[in-house]
This record gives sequence, C-alpha cells and structure tokens, in this order.
Amino acid sequence: MNKRTRTLAIALVSTLGLGLGLAGCSGGSPAKGGPERKNPAAANTGAVLGGTPQKGGTLTVLSNQDFTHLDPARNWVMPDMDFGTRLLYRTLVTYKAAPGAGGSELVPDLAEDLGTPSNGAKTWTFRLKEGLKYEDGTPVTSQDVKHNVERSFSPDLPGGPDYAARYLAGADGYQGPAQGKHLASVKTPDARTIVFELRKPFAEFPFAATLPTFAPVPAAQDKGPQYDNRPFSSGPYKIESYARDKRMVLVRNPHWNPATDTVRKAYPDRIVVTMGLKGNQIDDRLISSAGTDASSVAWAALRPESTPKVLTKPEVRARLLAESSSCTEMVQMHTGRAPFDDPKVRKAVQYALDREAVITANGGPALNDPATAAMPGSLFEGGKQPDTLGIPLSGDVEKAKQLLKEAGKPDGFATSITVSTNDKGIAEAVQQSLGRVGIKVTIETVDPSAFYDTIGDTRNRTDLVYTGWCPDYPSGSTFLPFVFDGRYIKEKGNSGNHSLFRDDATMKRMDEIAAMSDGAAANKAWQELDGQILAKAPVAPASVERKPLLIGTNIAGAFGHTSYGGQIDYATVGLKDPSKGAN
Amino acid sequence: MTAPPATAATAPAHGGGAWRLVRAELRRRVSLQVAAAVIVLFALMAAAAPLISSLGGWGPEEFDKSAVDPYLGGLPLGPLGGVSAEHWLGVEPVTGRDLFARVVHGAQVSLLIAFAATAIVVLAGTTAGIAAGYFGGRTDTVLSRLMDLTMSFPSLIFMIAMMSVARDVNRILLMVLVIGLFGWPGVARVVRGQTLSLKHREYVDAARVGGAGPWRILARDILPGVAGPVIAYTTLLVPGMIATEAALSYLGVGVRPPTPSWGQMIAESVAYYDTDPMYFLVPSFCLFLTVLAFTLLGDALRDVLDPRGSRS
Amino acid sequence: MILYLGRRLLGVLGVLLAIAAVTFTIFYVLPSDPAAAACGKACSDERLEAIRAHMGLDAPLWRQFADFVTGIFTGRTMGTGQYALRCDFPCLGYSYENSENVWDLLVDRLPVSASLAVGAAVLWLALGLTAGVTAALRKDTLTDRVLMVGAVAAASLPVYFTAVLLIYGLIRLTGLLPYPQYVSLTSDPLGWASNLILPWVALAVLYAAMYARQSRSSMIESMAEPYIRTARAKGLPRRTVVVKHGLRAGMTPVLTLFGMDLGGLLAGAVITESLFGLPGVGRLFYGALTSGDQPVILGVTLLAATFIVVANLAVDLLYAVVDPRVRY
Repeated sequence: MNKRTRTLAIALVSTLGLGLGLAGCSGGSPAKGGPERKNPAAANTGAVLGGTPQKGGTLTVLSNQDFTHLDPARNWVMPDMDFGTRLLYRTLVTYKAAPGAGGSELVPDLAEDLGTPSNGAKTWTFRLKEGLKYEDGTPVTSQDVKHNVERSFSPDLPGGPDYAARYLAGADGYQGPAQGKHLASVKTPDARTIVFELRKPFAEFPFAATLPTFAPVPAAQDKGPQYDNRPFSSGPYKIESYARDKRMVLVRNPHWNPATDTVRKAYPDRIVVTMGLKGNQIDDRLISSAGTDASSVAWAALRPESTPKVLTKPEVRARLLAESSSCTEMVQMHTGRAPFDDPKVRKAVQYALDREAVITANGGPALNDPATAAMPGSLFEGGKQPDTLGIPLSGDVEKAKQLLKEAGKPDGFATSITVSTNDKGIAEAVQQSLGRVGIKVTIETVDPSAFYDTIGDTRNRTDLVYTGWCPDYPSGSTFLPFVFDGRYIKEKGNSGNHSLFRDDATMKRMDEIAAMSDGAAANKAWQELDGQILAKAPVAPASVERKPLLIGTNIAGAFGHTSYGGQIDYATVGLKDPSKGAN
Repeated sequence: MTAPPATAATAPAHGGGAWRLVRAELRRRVSLQVAAAVIVLFALMAAAAPLISSLGGWGPEEFDKSAVDPYLGGLPLGPLGGVSAEHWLGVEPVTGRDLFARVVHGAQVSLLIAFAATAIVVLAGTTAGIAAGYFGGRTDTVLSRLMDLTMSFPSLIFMIAMMSVARDVNRILLMVLVIGLFGWPGVARVVRGQTLSLKHREYVDAARVGGAGPWRILARDILPGVAGPVIAYTTLLVPGMIATEAALSYLGVGVRPPTPSWGQMIAESVAYYDTDPMYFLVPSFCLFLTVLAFTLLGDALRDVLDPRGSRS
Repeated sequence: MILYLGRRLLGVLGVLLAIAAVTFTIFYVLPSDPAAAACGKACSDERLEAIRAHMGLDAPLWRQFADFVTGIFTGRTMGTGQYALRCDFPCLGYSYENSENVWDLLVDRLPVSASLAVGAAVLWLALGLTAGVTAALRKDTLTDRVLMVGAVAAASLPVYFTAVLLIYGLIRLTGLLPYPQYVSLTSDPLGWASNLILPWVALAVLYAAMYARQSRSSMIESMAEPYIRTARAKGLPRRTVVVKHGLRAGMTPVLTLFGMDLGGLLAGAVITESLFGLPGVGRLFYGALTSGDQPVILGVTLLAATFIVVANLAVDLLYAVVDPRVRY
C-alpha cells in the first residue's frame, strides 16, 4: 500500500484541495475508459455508506504508514489534515461534513462566523465561540491561535502551510516565537478576538482559515518539534498513546462540548490507528472483514492488485469508497529546451500519450479517470472536465507522427522523464506510448523524498517530468497561476510550473482575471484560459486520481470528503453496532 | 568425500586428475546432470535472450492492452494469467507485457549480474588472498584488517544504501560493483589459508631454491594449488549472488524499469500471488531452479576439488 | 586473555568509527536535501536556509562528522531558544522525520527485531543441527540423502516465496493464525508467539537449510579426526563420543556462522520485517532510507555494525569454551 498513499501524500504536500460543485464529478459521467462499460467503483460516489452510526465502540483505522505531521503548525498533507482537524484540534473555520459538493462549504468552527473583512479585505477579524475548552479543561483563547500561527514561521517546525507567511503583513524574516519575538500583524485585543492584518487584499481568507495553522496551541503546552508526537487536544478526542509508526489510541476528550461544534459527531468511544501494515494485507483483512476488522476502515488507498478481489464481489464492492482526489497528473515538458521549445513537438506528445495505458498502469478506471483538461473537474461547470483537446483516449499516433514531421523530427528523438519511484508503472506506460511515434524515453526514478528537489532543479532536470497539482481553493486562481505563470519559475527549488511555461499573453490574462471582482465571471475566465493554455501544449494532462478506500461491514456514516482528497471524513464515521467494536 | 583425504591434501586439484574426477562424478550422479543441464539451459537462454523471445513474437517491453482487463485492476484475461498461443507463459498484469519474453530477458540481467559480481569477487578475493598469504608481514596485516572491516559492514544495509544514493549511472554495473565490494573477503580468506599451507610445501621450496622469482612461483605453483577450492567456492557463490540481486531488486533499488530481472519481477508479482499466481510463480520458479542447480553443482565440485573444506 | 580482550575491544571501536565515517560520507553526497524535504513543496529560499542552518547542514562535512561523534558521548543540544532539544548520552541525534530521539527509536524497535531473530535462531538451530548431525552420523544412507536434498531445496527458496506461501496457507486460506501484528513478550507471551510464528518459520527455513549443510560437513570432518577414533577405541559409549567430542569440535565453524547471522539479523531483517509488517529495526531503516532520514540511517547502520562485531568477538571468545584446542 505504501506506493499509493505515499504518492498521494507527497503529491498533496502543498494542497488544501477544495472540491467545488462536485455533484456529478464522476458518478454520473459516462465511464471514459471504455464507453461500453461503467466505472465499477463509482457507484458510491457522493453517498454515505452504512447509514447513521450508533454512539460508542472502538473504531480501528488500518494504515500502512505513520502520519507525516500531526503538529498543527506542520500538518499539510491532505489525509493527515482530515484526521487532525476532525479529531484532535479545531480551526477557526472548517468544511461541512457532507458528501459530494456539500463538502466544499465552509462553516464556522472555533469562530462564531466565517470572519469579518474590512479595509478592502486586508484586515480579517474572527471572534471565538464561548465555552471552548482543551482536554485539561482550560479555555481556548485567541492568543493560543496566534501562538500557533507564529509557530508556523519557526525553522524548527518545518513542513506546514505557508499561507500565513504569504499574506500576513510584516512577516518578512520572522522566525517564530521561540526567541520571544512576536508578530505585530496578528492582534488579540481580548481572549476571544483575533485580528489578522494582511499585506494585500485576500478575499478567500476564510478558506485559508480551515488550515491547521489556525488551530490553537497553548504556549504552556508547546514542546517545539516534539509537540508533533503529542498535540494538545481541543477537539472531541485526545491522544491516549502514540507510538510512532506503530499505533495510536484516541479516547474521548471529556471537555469537548458538542454544543459548540456543528461538524463533529464523535460517535466512537475510542479510535485505534494501527500503522505500518502491508497494503495488500489491509485489503485482505477488510475484504474478509472478520472480528474487529469489521469495525475498521482503511487509511491507505486500495492496492491496484486487490481490485479484482473487490470489484467482482458485490458485497465487498458496496463497501468501497472512491471519491476523486481533485488533482490532475500531467506529463510536463521543459518548454525552454529543444526539442520541446517547439509547440508542434509538445502537441505531438499530447497526441502520442496513451492515457488508457496510464490509467491502467495506475489501477484502472476504478482508481482514476483520464484527464481531458488541466484543471480538475471540481473547477469546471458541473464538476466535470471538458474534453478540451478532443484527442482519443489511447492517443492518435498518425496525427502525432505528422506533427513531428512538421516540426522537422520525422524520426523522433531521445529524451528522458523523471518520476517518483511510486509512479514507475506510469512512466513505463508513457515510455511505451511515446515510443510509438519514435520518441525514445529513458526513465529516471527518484525516491519520493528527493523527487521535488530533483525536478525543481531546472538546469539539470530531465526534459519530461510526471507530476500534478491540486487546487487549494475552489477557484482557478489556486491552479493556473501556480502551474503556468512564468514569473514563479525558480532556477532551483522550482515548484508547480514544471513546464517552465513563460507566455506573455497567458500571464497578462492571469493578472486580468485575478483583478476581477465578480467571482462567477472570474471562474468562467479561468476555465477559458485553461483551454487556451492547453492549446499551447506545455503539458499533456494524463489522469485525475481517485481515493479508493475499503470499510468494514460494521462501519457506518462513511464517505470520502471532497475537501480532503477523498479521505474518509473522520468527523462522522462510526459503528453500526458498537458492541462489536471492542478490542 | 569421495577422494581419499591423503591425496587431496598433498596436491588438491593439481593437473588434469581433478577434472577427470569431476567428469566421473558427473557421470555417476543423475542429479548433477540435471543441475548442469539446467544451468546450461538458463545460460543459453540468457545469452540468446533476444533471439528466443522473438520466437514468441513479443519484446520484453512491449505492452499488450488487449491481454488485460483494465476494469479489474489490469488482471490478465483468460485462465492461468493469460496463457495463450500468443503469450506462452501468460502476461504481466496491468501492462500486458509478455511473461515469456520478460522471464527470458530477466535471466539475462540476473545471470549477468550474478556472474559479473562473482567474477569480481573471485578476482579481487584471489589476488588479495594470495598476496596476504604469500607475502605475509605487513601486507598480510593490512589486507586481513581490510577483510575484517569489510565483513563487519552490515552488507545488505550498505548495499541498499549505496544503490539508493547513486543516480545517473548504469544500474547493472553499479549493482555488480556494490555486490562485489562486500563479497571479496570470503574468497580472500579461503585463498589466504590455502596459500599459507602451500607456501612451505617441498615443491614450492624447491622452486624457490631453484631461483624462481616470487611472481613465477605464484603463477606456476601457488595459483594452481588454490584453483580447486576457489572453483568450488565460486560455484557456491553464484546462487548467493543471484539471491542478492533478487533481494536488492525486491527492495526497489535494483535495475531500472522497464528492464526486467527475476528479482524485479518477483518483487512486482508478490502482491499478485493470489489474484494472478502464474505471474508470481514463473519468475520464482526460475530463480529457485537456478539457485538449486548451482548449489548442487557447487556441492559436487567441492567434494571433488576441495574435500577438506577450506572454508571451515 | 585480558590483554587480548582489550585489544579486540579497541579494534571494535576503530571498526565502528570507520563505518560511521563511510556511512556519513555516502549520505553526504546523497542528492536529496533533507532540509528541502522537511520544508515541503512551497518553500521560500530564506526559509530553506533557516531550516538548513537549524539542522546543522550548513557546516562542512568534517565538522558535521566531528559534532556527531563527540555528540554521542557528550550529548548535544539542537534547535533554538524555547524549542531547543537536549539529547543526552548516547546521543545519535533526532530523526528528521518525526523529531524522535534516534537512540530511543532504536531501543523501541530492537525488541521486535530481537524477538524475530532469536525466535528464528532457536528454530533453525534446532532444526538445522538435528538434521545436519543426523545426516552426518548416517552418512550415505537414504536418511542422509533425503535430508540433504531437502536442505538444498529449502536453501534455494527465497524468503519472500516462503513468506507468501505461509501467509496464504495459514492466514488467508485457513484462518489458523492472525495477520502478524507485533505484541510485546511481556504484555502477552502467547500473542507474542502466535504473531511471530510465521515470520520465525519463514526465516528459519532458509537458515535451517544452511545450518544443516554446514553442520553435516563439519561433523563428518570432526568424526574423522584421530582423537575420535581413539575415544571410540577406548570403548566410550557412542553417545558420549558424538556429543562430547565430535559435536564440540564440529560446532566451531557453525558457531562462526551463527555469530555472523545472528549479529546481522538482530539489527533487522529488512525483507522479512517488511513482508510481515513487523515494526522492527529493519523496517525503520527502510522507511528512513525512502524518506532520506539520515540520522536514523546512521543510527541503524551503527547498531547493525555493533552487533556484527560484538557477535564476532563473542564467537571468538566462545571458541575457547567449545573447542578445547583453542587457547588465547
């Protein structure tokens, strides 16, 4: 299981991924992998499995790995953010606990409302609810929220979201509260009020306020880097024990007051996370669902090789969640370097790419959908990507060859692609499909830990890289500028724009759209721009992955949350019969 | 165990006598004939991999989408992992690549690495062992310390580490070097011991008195004397090398895709052991058979060429 | 004897220092940057610099190594201001991944690997020696041949094959055993054993085969020694001859092998642990490797090397006990 989740975890490192209008994202769409057959895994999309849970019992989570970081200042991996903010700590604002499109709606959490903007959205004020308490009964204060925001600047605590650093005024060079220095741009006039002064207008601040950065950490409990191993709870559960990479046990936090919380249901009495299991053993255990495994859910996505065991049995298939991850994976070409500086060559790649093979290599249509646009379906009308380029799924070899001939490369050429070790199979599919038109691809696999580092070195990297992007907001502003704005290119540590695409018309249009005040018009404009960029072919979109998760027979209230990359919403999951969940 | 210890102790594997014994042993034991046949078969298969796999009509890196069902996680269509007239041993799930072509090419890579690594180990080990044993003194001290040090390295851990650190290099070459790096002290110890015992034999002393230089003595008198145990030891090294290649590939630090090797194939197929057993069994069986054959052959060679067991 | 021991211990320290230096160098040239990995995807240059400085990665290699080595004995303080972490002797640093003390991590994982290694060792010694000695005493009989063919075949089976077979047969198909999930010996001895039995068997099959072969040949050799013939001629019971004389001398090479094997396995059987999902040192190492967690990699390597050299030392000392011919 390592493969899949690791990929996802790494791919989503910088992602907040909101779903937008996901209603028909996949369930209703005709199966694109083959018109004659329906996607066998999409039946449960947008549904809550198992009915309403009963209170009590022990919920077990079977995982192949440890959490990356549960320290709220450092937690920026999608499934971990789900787990942390739904169970252990509350944030100023959070997402509604609802399947499908409802999951992208914001609701106040610690705050009484979604925040009050002033000064042209350069100042945001939040007022905390009354009666909020930590696990030891002490009250949650606005100073604690400020403290955690400050912590996120500390070099001792890397890995977390950088929205605070990007937007807060006077934050340049700030290194966190460890040396006793504090941020003047975060004000706490009283214990329940917190005011953020931003350096530029930021209308979407409430979305950022769902991030773990905006969870409270009392200074008295702050143990620096080791806070990661024992975050102090403001949510419905507290940590009873946490043996890294082995086992975590959560028990109820008696001081959490459900009256202050509209999102979290906290059905189980205990939650046990068993880590470090083999992926296919997790699948086998959940398929047979015997004993306590009946009260278990999978943390890691279903292994592709386990799909036959699931899809062929209706009873098991009914227990499979497969929400879209809302991230588009793409073959990105080095537009600054020959032969990919020629749009014809790049177009040839778009036409040569066999997305069917890529999809199959990645687990088949049940586990991912072919991409037909750059932005994921969640950013388009009806939650579905338009077929912008109109290329057949398995590519158009003739057309690609013709394009290569026009570009003066009738015999093709040799190039190489960098992929994370986990995407080896995909790389082989890309290699095979480009080979059909004479483009000979050498595969460089890089360890996930070194992947972004390697492809971020623009001078030494390979011509092709396979990587994706996930929107941070239900808005094209968190996708297209990150991936296609030439001004964000860095020679080293480059991220996002891996095609090194620098196009004046595109950048000009991006600035125009960013300045629009009408959100709907802006969205429309982003969608059009998506098509215009793809016509210039800096990338060849490949797939949009799903998050296939199996649940045990005794599980109720489970659905893949669209804002957490399709991970099960831990706010609402519980057991049908709590007496069976003891362990 | 067949040769009387007395003769073997005086001149192990000297001249053609030893080979006659080997041939006799080979004729006597059916299991040995089978083992030798298996080794020859796989070696031929490895050497002529492109030719043999072209008989099946598929290249090792060629996808066949029509042979797998994408809706079932890319499981091969048809019984026994997609065995058909077209794909003799079935296909790889997901990609539909021909298993026969891959296993044949995998033999090439696995055996190439195993043989090359063995060659390095034997060459380096023999050189170091003879030098340490014959010259003694400071040379011996330094070399023996180096052997002790190398043997103290947790070798698998280091191999994994080195394989994962290096990039932009020929993986096969690197693997050969890395495996070789940790293998030579074993041979060196055997050879050193043997050299020490040969050094003061009468015929060596006689050659020295006769005015032969050290190089001449090494080449004419010592080297043939250590050859027997080394050959036996070498044959027993090969299966270990094959297994090490497989282990490294299994852990994901082996050859680069889409190059097949048995270890890489087994690693990919373990997950399919119950949904597509054929995929798992084919490379596992090849690996098992080859290792078994080399072990049997090595045992027999040791019985004949090194009956005293220089290893212990 | 004391002098010998002292000299050997000094040698052990030298070897460990050399191994630490080699490991350090290998990972210093590692292309992945731990600071960048920690910083995440959207990372500004100045933040990256700050993190690098905090991790001590901005110092030259020799300096980092010197700090590491002295830190083992004197302890180190890492981090800044309120977030400073004090790491006391024996300080192997903190994991980049989860800020855990590396020494504590090793101490935490060691029981798992040790349980696996010791359990498997008991099994393979019992099986391998019995088979080997039986075969040696009945040399060239049918029993001998059957045992040795079995041993050769078993030695040719890769551990992942045996493991998969066991998992399928005893867990998936029949449900006789639970999926391995480590529980500590002290909290639940029965659960400990029932969870570890499969990994034990998987490992032991391979080693038992090797030991059967080795013990058979050295047993045959030692039984042919003149003093055995003398003992027999004296009219000592066969049992006494075999156990007191033959076995003792014949076990020397087996002991050497055992020292190396157990030493290597104590610090983690990477493949077996990953196949059975056991949270031992081997899995810790493999995880650290894939995430570039240098302090943990270094810690595991040193631990593994320590076990190997100490096991070798112990074996050399044991020789004197087992084989009366050896004297220091």
